[in-house]
Amino acid sequence: MKKQITLLATALIFILSACKKETTYVNQPVVDNYIYAVDGEEVYQSNIEKDKEKSPEQYLSILYTNLFKTTIEQSDLLQLAEVRRAIGDKQMVDELILNDFVNGTDIELPTDSEMRADIEQFVENTYIRFFLRKPTPYEIYELKDAIESDAGLSPELIYQGFALSNEYKFY
Amino acid sequence: MKRRSFLKNTSLSAASVITAPYILPSGRLFAATGERIVNHVVLVLFAGGIRQQESVEQQYVATQNGNSTTGNLMRNMLSGAAPTSDLDALGNEGLWDPIQTNSLASQGTLFQEVIYQEGPPGHYNGHAVALTGNYYPNNINLNENPTNPTIFELYRKHNDPVQSALNAWWISEGLGPYPSLNYSQDPLYGSGYGANYLRPASILGGAGQDQLGNAQTYQPDDVSRISKIKAMLDNNFDQSGNGLPGIDNTPENRELIKSFLTNTIQDVQNGIFDLATPNGSNVRTGDLINISSAWTVMKEFAPELTVINTTNLDVCHGDFSQYLNFLHRADYGVGWLWDKIQGPEGAAAGLKDDTIMICVPEHGRNWVTNNNTDSNGMRALDHTAEDISQLPDYNLPYTNSRRIFTLIVGPEGKVVPNQVLGSPGNPVGESIDIAPTIANILGFDDNIPSGMLPGRVLDEAFV
Repeated sequence: MKKQITLLATALIFILSACKKETTYVNQPVVDNYIYAVDGEEVYQSNIEKDKEKSPEQYLSILYTNLFKTTIEQSDLLQLAEVRRAIGDKQMVDELILNDFVNGTDIELPTDSEMRADIEQFVENTYIRFFLRKPTPYEIYELKDAIESDAGLSPELIYQGFALSNEYKFY
Repeated sequence: MKRRSFLKNTSLSAASVITAPYILPSGRLFAATGERIVNHVVLVLFAGGIRQQESVEQQYVATQNGNSTTGNLMRNMLSGAAPTSDLDALGNEGLWDPIQTNSLASQGTLFQEVIYQEGPPGHYNGHAVALTGNYYPNNINLNENPTNPTIFELYRKHNDPVQSALNAWWISEGLGPYPSLNYSQDPLYGSGYGANYLRPASILGGAGQDQLGNAQTYQPDDVSRISKIKAMLDNNFDQSGNGLPGIDNTPENRELIKSFLTNTIQDVQNGIFDLATPNGSNVRTGDLINISSAWTVMKEFAPELTVINTTNLDVCHGDFSQYLNFLHRADYGVGWLWDKIQGPEGAAAGLKDDTIMICVPEHGRNWVTNNNTDSNGMRALDHTAEDISQLPDYNLPYTNSRRIFTLIVGPEGKVVPNQVLGSPGNPVGESIDIAPTIANILGFDDNIPSGMLPGRVLDEAFV
């Protein structure tokens, strides 16, 4: 009986805490921040919290920061805004801009051998870098499997996939 | 099967294929497409506000006080002798020899007096009227797409078979409100039927060179790897980034266009970009760059519908001499474009003898000058709704800003050559006639719901 009460209490605590509305952002540094050395970044508990679409300017400036680990110059942002206006297919122009970014000399990109030396770590770092959250176990498995089964899948191409993904367009 | 039975069955099958209505993959039945005159149309919105006086009337500087020199500045488009004196307005390079041996007017039909009947004579209004085939009585919000479907949407929705955006291009000299003209706000049309929009000066010039000039080009295998990762990530996220206000190309066409733009940027960097100027010229106007860029698009993709514009001539608000200069250069650009279409590259792209080009200003300019004077002492001109009852020496029933022309040139046997229609006070054709005329040329006018295009087909131009 005592054991049953303990189990019931544990279950109630679990259910009540599960029903509690999650905070949208963690405004203070959390353990994840220290582990992945992204102090000052807001880290999401999950992708469900992301329901607002980034503006084109937000998308481009955040993308630049993610890839180059530095803030984009205002003059570059103005030029990018002009380039975006000058092409009607916005998805296409974003892809072109990204293609230029990833070809930049200052981009901080792991090498293929670094990625393959510790794929799980690469996957976690990439999720934190682009999505500001840790991957789920399934997401780790899925991307790790894709990397292991395709020798031509480079960090650059994976970064492209992340930068063009729907989740990356939301915050 | 006996031979007679086989022949009978085969004949029946063939007959059923011929007589059965065609069914699209979507399941929609459609009537056969109307007969086309040609398979490609280029609309040159010869815009920026051009007066009849300096274009078809060939008055050169004769409307300016103290000047009497007349002459034709548009010898590629119009027949007539060039001015022989007072050439200071044309800058260091003076008159260029025309690239067309015979003027386009002599090769086609010139509606020399056409009317922009309603609405303010503003650039965006004028463009929107030509592209939608509808007048707008008030100023259109410059930040909004037009309310009526554009010719691009009408083409992509009503042409059979349905064509992709690779076949419809809107290429503008400037940004401003012009990117909004590739599709409308109409919920039954909209971006899904829009044209590919391009402003070459931004993509091939400074901003594009700086921001796209180093763009990596990926092989198909790598493109598919990127798509696979994106799809994997999208499967784990239940929202889609569909808030981008633009058109969508198919993934295959998107890669084609990306490759084309990257290569063209490199051509500019390497100095091998084909520019619409005579050999040895140093003139680089925005209009000529736009026309040259439009040609690179046309020879690459051979679109069925291409619309390009000029806008530099609007300098006339403050500099009449430069307006004349730009008018002369833009005329060369139009002649150059037609020369390309009818030349070996145009033949290779399938454009030669299968293209009709229409040139039309979006509106005219005022009769009376404003107070600005240029370095040659010439008075400038605005484009407003003048009160004709107050104008000195003006005797037409509509304002000078409403006076425009339309030039239609095309293959022999398709377009009536050397024909001039209309006269001052007796216009033939309106701005709203351009859209239905394009629809007729491409054979989809009968598929457009009645009442959407109040204008008429300028069928006097066609054989």
